[in-house]
Amino acid sequence: MTEQREFVSKVDLKARERALQILRERFYEVLKDVMNGKPPKLIIRKRTLSNTIYDSERGLLLLGEATFERSFVDLREARKFMQTMLMASMIFEALSNGEYPTIRDLYYRGKHTIRFRKLPSKTVAEENTWDEQSESDSVIRDIEVHTNVLREEMLILSKEKGKVVGEMKIRSGDDVIDLSKMGHGAYSIEPTPDLIEFIDVDADFVLVVEKDAVFQQLHRIGFWKKHKAILITSAGQPDRATRRFVRRLNEELGLPVYILSDSDPYGYYIYSVFKTGSITLSYESERLATPKARFLGVMMTDIFGSSKLGKKPYLADEERRNYIIKAKDRDIKRAKELKEYPWFKSERWQVELDEFLNRKVKLEIEALASKGLRFLSDRYIPEKIQIGDWIA
Amino acid sequence: MGQGGEQFKAISPAEFFYKNKEIAGFSNPARALYQTVRELIENSLDATENYGILPTIKISLRELRQVEEGAHYEVVVEDNGIGIPPKYVPQAFAQLLFSSKYVLRQTRGMFGLGAKMAVLYAQITTGYPAEVIVAPIKSKHIYSFKLKIDIRENKPVVLSFSMTSNVSGRHGTIVRLVTLGDWSRAKQRIYEYVRRTAVIAPYAEILFRDPEGSVVLFERSISKLPPPAREVLPHPHGVDIETLKSMLQTQSVNPVAEVLVESFQGVGEVTAHRILSEAGIPSEKKAGELSDREIETLLRVMKNSKDIKPPRADHLSYLGRDIIVAGLTKIFNPEYANAITRRPSVYEGHAFIVEAGIAYGGRVPPLEEPLVLRYANKIPLLYDERSDVVYKVLERIDFKLYEVEFPAPLAIVTHICSTKVPYKGVGKEAIADVPEIEQEVESALREVLRDLRSYLLRKKREIEEVEKAVSIAKYIPEVSNALHKMYGVDPKVVSQKLLEILNSKLKTFKIDSLSDVVVE
Repeated sequence: MTEQREFVSKVDLKARERALQILRERFYEVLKDVMNGKPPKLIIRKRTLSNTIYDSERGLLLLGEATFERSFVDLREARKFMQTMLMASMIFEALSNGEYPTIRDLYYRGKHTIRFRKLPSKTVAEENTWDEQSESDSVIRDIEVHTNVLREEMLILSKEKGKVVGEMKIRSGDDVIDLSKMGHGAYSIEPTPDLIEFIDVDADFVLVVEKDAVFQQLHRIGFWKKHKAILITSAGQPDRATRRFVRRLNEELGLPVYILSDSDPYGYYIYSVFKTGSITLSYESERLATPKARFLGVMMTDIFGSSKLGKKPYLADEERRNYIIKAKDRDIKRAKELKEYPWFKSERWQVELDEFLNRKVKLEIEALASKGLRFLSDRYIPEKIQIGDWIA
Repeated sequence: MGQGGEQFKAISPAEFFYKNKEIAGFSNPARALYQTVRELIENSLDATENYGILPTIKISLRELRQVEEGAHYEVVVEDNGIGIPPKYVPQAFAQLLFSSKYVLRQTRGMFGLGAKMAVLYAQITTGYPAEVIVAPIKSKHIYSFKLKIDIRENKPVVLSFSMTSNVSGRHGTIVRLVTLGDWSRAKQRIYEYVRRTAVIAPYAEILFRDPEGSVVLFERSISKLPPPAREVLPHPHGVDIETLKSMLQTQSVNPVAEVLVESFQGVGEVTAHRILSEAGIPSEKKAGELSDREIETLLRVMKNSKDIKPPRADHLSYLGRDIIVAGLTKIFNPEYANAITRRPSVYEGHAFIVEAGIAYGGRVPPLEEPLVLRYANKIPLLYDERSDVVYKVLERIDFKLYEVEFPAPLAIVTHICSTKVPYKGVGKEAIADVPEIEQEVESALREVLRDLRSYLLRKKREIEEVEKAVSIAKYIPEVSNALHKMYGVDPKVVSQKLLEILNSKLKTFKIDSLSDVVVE
């Protein structure tokens, strides 16, 4: 172990110490209850829609104050209690042993069979500690909420999904990486972005592109060099690391963040996840959301123009006919839901959503790239940024 | 019958019954064998329990020879009853319609008719006489008879008679008949009858030996007897025109008021005079001089008279909770048994009492509906059950209300005792749905079912708690292990603590040791 420690970065070691400390403190209540002959319990904030609050002032989706009690002697909670304790002890062990488990590793590590006798029949029955990974994932979230420590801070890794290139240098672990020297590739945003240190940055703004393919196209034609941008893709729904990374760029470096997604309710929602947080993981918003993120497009009004906004369309009639796709029923349904979310209640968003519901069509970013990559990189994006045609 | 009234009168009762033997249940050899066994057992029970004697009854069937319609069987039934005084034996066993007293008593059958039919049927089909051996209580002798019935004259014929000294001081009656039967077709019925009799008479010891040589002993499981049935005068509300006519006829020279006072319960002099004046009959008129019209009016007035005390029920022989429960326990060994006896009630001038019992679990087979054991005056009713009043009541009971989910191991006993059981049809296997009886049966059933419900609910709660305890306890090792990893505490100590905490939350059940639940 000591030998191995020399190869491990110092930031990891510090993160481990902190996470271990907090885990030990937060679960000490359980031990105390047991030793005092009291039914052990965990009091955890509820991760439910009803306990998700939109803080309009800060523009964040936050977890409310409502809690629930997970008591071991409560029939409905006993299994979850056991799973929570099992998971906490496994994370604890992994931290002490200097490991970097993924949530899937933890699932497999904790999955085993409990053999017990049913009474009064005395027949032997079997039960798994958990069956689906959704069960172990769920208690990991409970532990994050209970300890107020995110899984990344407990050095639990997940698949790297987000990528970044741009004129900047960072320290990751004990290495310094130049993100402008990634060739045709890009730097994969590590699952523990809090352990990254920004060293040298020369950029005017951050552009986050939902689609990986569009990211690659913009990278290959040198968009970020020409327009002094940090170029990022979330490759679909953003993972936590990408969101945290974007947030730090905005918060610590003061760089404006623009989001470019498909023009449909799912694209709009990806933007809102970056900006305000997600409903299912609202407890992370405080650390992961970027309330100042701006929605650059693609907007419905980019496609059709808007007399109300005095805006001309970017697409000609014939192009529209070629590029737009008929919206599906679930798109319509989702758009109606978005219209009701408080963080979509702004006048500007209502114009876009009404337009969508009115036209019942959608458009993918690739369609704009098809019109011409240069059109996208040298006209559409810079022009919209320049004239301020974005939604805050 | 196609015979005129004149000719009808000319045949003797014995001849009449022989020609109409299906009325008494002797329609074919199988049915006759069943009926013979049944009548003799019922006589034995009446001769014992009504006199405070715990019955010990031995029944033995033996096949003597096969014949075309079946086989000749020797049927021997022996009891430890009071033993009929020898001078009454010939009439009791070989003369039909021997009794002429108009008193009512709840017995299994009207004593004699059934047994006499068995004797008559045996004599006709095999030619063998009936052998009757009696030893009355404290008798110094044992008396043996061989009897036949003179069918034309309806008179007993004593073929032989002997006396031996009663050295052992025993008492009781042994009846031996040789009769035509069909064991293979009667077997199931006879066994069912004996078994059901054992349910209702757990105070009896019954030994049954069948023609195949199998012997079944139903041991006595309770030494308490039901209160003996006592004789009682008819109630004015329950009398019919023929009975009234006969009563007046037998006391024809007495003033009608006197006859009423002496022949009915609940009728004193004042009531008798009031009834007669209402009927427009002079109190002093001789009973035999009343016209048919007067008798009809008298009957109507009596039946409608409101201020006569309700019929007495103290003469009824009900079983009571203990005996029913003992019987159910003996046969089914159930996890739960209970019974109740309703208060006496009245229909059409006849007192009756309804009892109901329940057995749940044990050897009761789980069926899609309750196993129903019906009894009337302690006689098992085996057939026509769907037309019985009990089924009518059961049909409208929602068992889910009582926590019973079929298939369920539920046996129900109903017992209706009365000086006059309102049977449906001649088979005497089903009780008619008289509203008063129906109401009492329903109340009785609902009352025992309510108790069953409490039991099942309690059991359900207990089972739920055991299940709850197990489903928490099985996780204790995991939790202890987790705390051990995080805090280095001894997992055994933590497990023991957790088990104590869990046990302190349980009300009806505790886990003694974690090893009862956890499989290493």
